[in-house]
Parts: sequence; structure tokens; C-alpha cells
Amino acid sequence: MIFDFHTKYDGDGKGHFGEYGGRFAPEMLIPALEELEAAYKNAKKDKKFEQEFLELLHSFAGRPTPLTFAKNLTKKLNGAKIYFKNEGLNITGAHKITHCLGQALLAKKMDKKRIIAETGAGQHGVAAATVAAKFGFSCTVYMGEVDVARQRPNVFWMQQLGAEVIPVKFGSRTLKDAVNAALKDWITNVESTHYLLGSTVGPHPFPTINRDFQSVVGMEVKEQIKKSEGRLPDYLIACVGGGSNAIGLFYRFLNDGKVKMIGVEAGGRGVEKIGDHATRFYGGETGVVEGYKSVFLQDEYGNLALTHSVSAGLDYPGIGPQLAYLKEQGRADFTYATDKEVLDAFKLLAKTEGIICALESAHAVAGAIKLVPTLSKDKIVVVNLSGRGDKDIFIVAEALKDKEWRDFIRSKVYEY
Amino acid sequence: MNAIEKKLIQLKKENRLGLIAHAVLGYPNMEKSLEIINSLISNGSDFLELQIPFSDPVADGETIMKACEVALKSGMNTDEAFELVGNLRRAVNVPILLMAYYNTIFRYGIKRFCKKAKDLRVSGIIVPDIPPEEEIAEKFITTSLEYDIYPIRVVSPSSSINRLEINARFARGFVYCISHFGVTGTKTVVDDRLTRYLQRVKQIMKLPVAVGFGLSKAEQIEALKGVADIVIVGSAIIKNYNEGGIKQVSSFIKSLKESTMGKGYI
Ligand SMILES: Cc1ncc(COP(=O)(O)O)c(C=O)c1O
Repeated sequence: MIFDFHTKYDGDGKGHFGEYGGRFAPEMLIPALEELEAAYKNAKKDKKFEQEFLELLHSFAGRPTPLTFAKNLTKKLNGAKIYFKNEGLNITGAHKITHCLGQALLAKKMDKKRIIAETGAGQHGVAAATVAAKFGFSCTVYMGEVDVARQRPNVFWMQQLGAEVIPVKFGSRTLKDAVNAALKDWITNVESTHYLLGSTVGPHPFPTINRDFQSVVGMEVKEQIKKSEGRLPDYLIACVGGGSNAIGLFYRFLNDGKVKMIGVEAGGRGVEKIGDHATRFYGGETGVVEGYKSVFLQDEYGNLALTHSVSAGLDYPGIGPQLAYLKEQGRADFTYATDKEVLDAFKLLAKTEGIICALESAHAVAGAIKLVPTLSKDKIVVVNLSGRGDKDIFIVAEALKDKEWRDFIRSKVYEY
Repeated sequence: MNAIEKKLIQLKKENRLGLIAHAVLGYPNMEKSLEIINSLISNGSDFLELQIPFSDPVADGETIMKACEVALKSGMNTDEAFELVGNLRRAVNVPILLMAYYNTIFRYGIKRFCKKAKDLRVSGIIVPDIPPEEEIAEKFITTSLEYDIYPIRVVSPSSSINRLEINARFARGFVYCISHFGVTGTKTVVDDRLTRYLQRVKQIMKLPVAVGFGLSKAEQIEALKGVADIVIVGSAIIKNYNEGGIKQVSSFIKSLKESTMGKGYI
């Protein structure tokens, strides 16, 4: 059974990872969270559930995604061997579809007719809209107004998939506010609706169930790297928003003490000033927000701080509780990449390896670019490319000040 | 004796519904906020529920959420909130309940928060996002009780008997019953389902029940007589303020107060 896997870094029965995690939810949501937890506990032991999940991953999502040896980049950086786990090849273009399929199966078991989701980059929203279409749920996606503007293609696709996209107009109008809006919807419609939360954050059991679904990423990598190298990697690198792609890659290696893990946070315009970045481990402090205890970027009174990142998916002031715990335990290290480093990494990856990755994932690439040259050639580094870059065409073109693209947009505007 | 208890005895004697008027501290600014709260008191509010604004108030609807945003922008924070309560305290004898999201208290320091509240003779704290299960590690409820501040439990129509029993262990004073599935400020209908739910809470938790979320009309309050002990009005006060300033708030509270009279408290 794939979900029957344990590490000493797992939560207690109530979803506490050391000091972090828990279920700090209003009483009106507790029954729904208990229902979800019970549904998952049953499903976890159910062979049929597992088969159904794996079958969907295989025949619908496109798993396993390839693990690609990056020959050119390895040569260029002249250090450790680099492998890319290409999650961008999943249907909908990112790892998010994996926990969406898992949760959709749970929603079906719980007889829910409607799902709601929050989204930042729109990748989780598209994946949620996709499973809604496939399973016949009605679907509402909350997305901050700022993100609606910067990830417009995904808004359009969600609508084509039949979802209703509601721009969130309060707060910082980004991912955290979308989570808030979704929680309010859930409070209102809790009997009919499943909240398909999109990362390893929020009240228990979300951090645990999303981790378990995403852990197939690490499971696949383990098999793939054994096949190509005959051994485990030395380093795992992933970008960290809420943490689903990172813990997805890390989880199955947690018991392998020699495998080092590095999470790369969004350094934005630099980590010196709160408001310029989304690097929780530089300037963040312990807090309890959106249903869980973890490290948050916040002011001295506990109000969440504004964040900035070129990538909408990492532009979030909180971090998954288990990752905060792994950091505290010294099991995972965290670093950051600035917007500029991220764009450089994005370009380098495209030109050397022929992969256009999401700006979120480019943070992991940037982390690798810094680390790899410091390592000897017999070391192996696996980098998680959590998504592909199609959705970021407007942001990248603008950041690179591409003149031909600007002319194209102008001509389109003119046509309209 | 905690001032909440004294008030409950008084309500019983006077045989009427209690009225809790809610305000967001610092909305729309410090000065006006003080004026609003004073008018809530002078027009007969039995308790005050004073909310410390927070950036991410999950259980609140648009009206209170916006009020929090405005208050925070105008410089409100936990220290200023205590300052405001201190200013009120000189004039007022109504029991004060602070409402805050848990992170506000956690960041301030639970002990420090409770001590400060106690110094200002705060009688109760309402925290919507700390279920009893988290108490084991957080010790928030225990600490507030050490300072004789009642931790007011919040329950909802979805709370099972088991949930009510768990909450009963920690409840003091009265139980805050959310009237329906929804956030603050959304419409409430007083129907059979609500009545049965309030009966269930009373039976299991053995405390007076206060009903809140979406109350704005005298008819609703009339319908709650004999069913509830206390009514809580929040968003509607802010809406009245936004429409017609302090004057409208005064007449609104006055009319609510009138509708609480007579064969209320059960
Ligand atoms: C491609 C991609 N990678 C990473 C993330 C960040 O989320 P998480 O940290 O949960 O993997 C997102 C979120 O939108 C994403 O779209």
C-alpha cells in the first residue's frame, strides 16, 4: 500500500509536526475537517482507492513524469550531475493535478457535489477545474485580483473547463486572500461542498493528505534514479510556496539520512525588507493563521505581511507546517532565489536543456545553479520542475522586455 | 464574581433578552470608534464585544472584514486597542468581551494579553479559531481562566453532540451560538432548525445561549424570545454607522434594546 509509509517526521494524531500544524479552525469547519480525515483514513487502507488513484495518475494525468539527466547544464556548471523531475508534463502542466485527483476521489466518497479551490498561479485552480469536469462536480475557484491579472491564461482555461472564477478583491488580493475567501465559502456551504485546498497548508488533515498524494513524486524519483544511477541522489531541490511539490519530492527520502534536501523560497526583490519577498525563513515568525501554526511573514501584532514574488505560486506569507518542522529539525535546509536570479535560471534552462519551466520551478533551478558548482562531480542532484512555463508567457515576455512580443500584443489590442 | 455572571443574574431578574453590541476597535479611527462604543453603551447595550482588527479574519463577512482593514490602516493594533479599552473603562461599567483571532493573542503573548485584559477589567475573550483540541499545547483557555477572564466558546449548527460536549468542558458564562452556516453579516432566519439547535446547545452545555451572525432586525429578536438568552449584533451596527453615522447607530441600538424587553431570558 503506497500510503502506508511512515517517517519520524510525521505528525501526531492531530496533525502537529512538533510545534507546528494543528487544526486552528473555527468550530463550524471542524465537522467537515473530521469528515475529511475519516474519509482519508478509510481510503488509505482501501486497495481499491489506491488502484483508482494510481490508475487516474497513469491513464489521465500522464504519470510517471520523466526524470531527465541534464547533460548540457551539468557540463556547463561543472559540478554535480543534475537531474530534472519534469512535473510540467502532467496534464494541466504542474504537480497540482496529483493531489487534486486524490482529493476528488475523497470528495466523491463523501458524496460532495461541489468543490471550491483557491489558486495563486492558477495551476491548482486549473487542476481543480479539471478534476471537477472529469468527476462532474460544480466548481468555484477563488483567485486574488492581482493574480487574475498576472496569470490571465489560466483564468481563461479554468472558465473553459466549466469553473466559475471569482476574483478576490480584499486584503493583498493574492493567494492568502484567495485562501481566506475559499474558507468563507466553505463555512457558508460546508454541507454540500468540499474545499479542495491546493497545498500542504491549512488545518489538519490538509497538510498530511496533500503530502501523501504528492509523495508519488518522490516515489517515482526513487525508482527512476535507481534505474539510471543505481543509487540514491545526494541532494533534492524544490521551490517552496505552501510546500506541496517540495514535500512531495522529499517525503519518500526522509528516512534516507544521507539524502540532503533544499527548499528554495521566493526572494523577490531581496530579503532585507518585509514586503519585498516571500521568504518565510528570513524574517518570518511563528504564528497561527488560516487554520495552522507555522512560520509566517507578519508584523509584531500578528497581521500577515505583504509579500512579493515574480511567481504568483510562491507569493504567500505562510509555509507548510511539516516543512517548518523539517527545517527546525535540521532535516531540510532552505535558501531563496531573487526574481532576477529566477529569470536568469529560467532562460538558462530553456537554452541549455530545452525545457520551459514555470517561474515557481525556476526558483529550484536557481538554487541548483548556485549549489551544483560547489559539489564534486560524483554527486547527484535532483531538481523538481514543478510545472511548465506556458502560463508565464506574459510575465516573462514583460520581464525580458521583448520588443516583438510587445508589438504582437499591441497589434492584438488594435484588432480588438 | 465575574461581571458576566452578575449581568446574567440581572437579565434573569429583569426577564429579558440580553443585548451584546459589537464594534471593531479603531473603526473607522480611534476617536470615532470611541464615540460609537459610547453610543452603544448609552443606548442600553448589556455587554460590549470589542473586536481587535486582524488582517485575515476568516470567520468574518465583508462588512467586518472591511472595517478591520480600515481600522488597521488607521493605525490600530493590539496596544492601541488596549489603550482604547482603557479610555472606555473610565466611564463604563458594562461587561467587556474582547474578540480576537488567535494569532493576535499568540503574538502578543498569551499571558501578557490576559494580564493586560484583566487590568482593564475585561470579562471575557472570544476567539473563533482555537478549538479545545489545541488547548493542550496552547494553554490559552487555562491562562485566561487564571486571570478570571471567561473563554467564551463559539459553536455552530454543524456542531455535533460530541463537539458540544468537548466544548462544554471549557465553556464559561454563556455559549456563543452562530446562528447559521455562514460568515458574519449574512442573513439569518429564525426557524425550527435554529430553535432545535439552540435547545441542543442549552441541554448539553448547560449555559445561557447567545445568538449571533446576521441579526439586524427587531423581528428576528422578537422571534428569538423564549429561544435564546442573549442576542449579538455586529455587522448591522457597522452598516448603520456607514449609512447614517453615530446618530443612526444610536437609534438602531435603542430600537433593538426595546425589542429585547419582556419575557426574554429563559
Ligand atoms: C508550478 C508550481 N510550482 C510550485 C507552486 C507552489 O506550490 P507548492 O509549494 O505547494 O508546490 C505552484 C503553485 O501555484 C505552482 O503552480
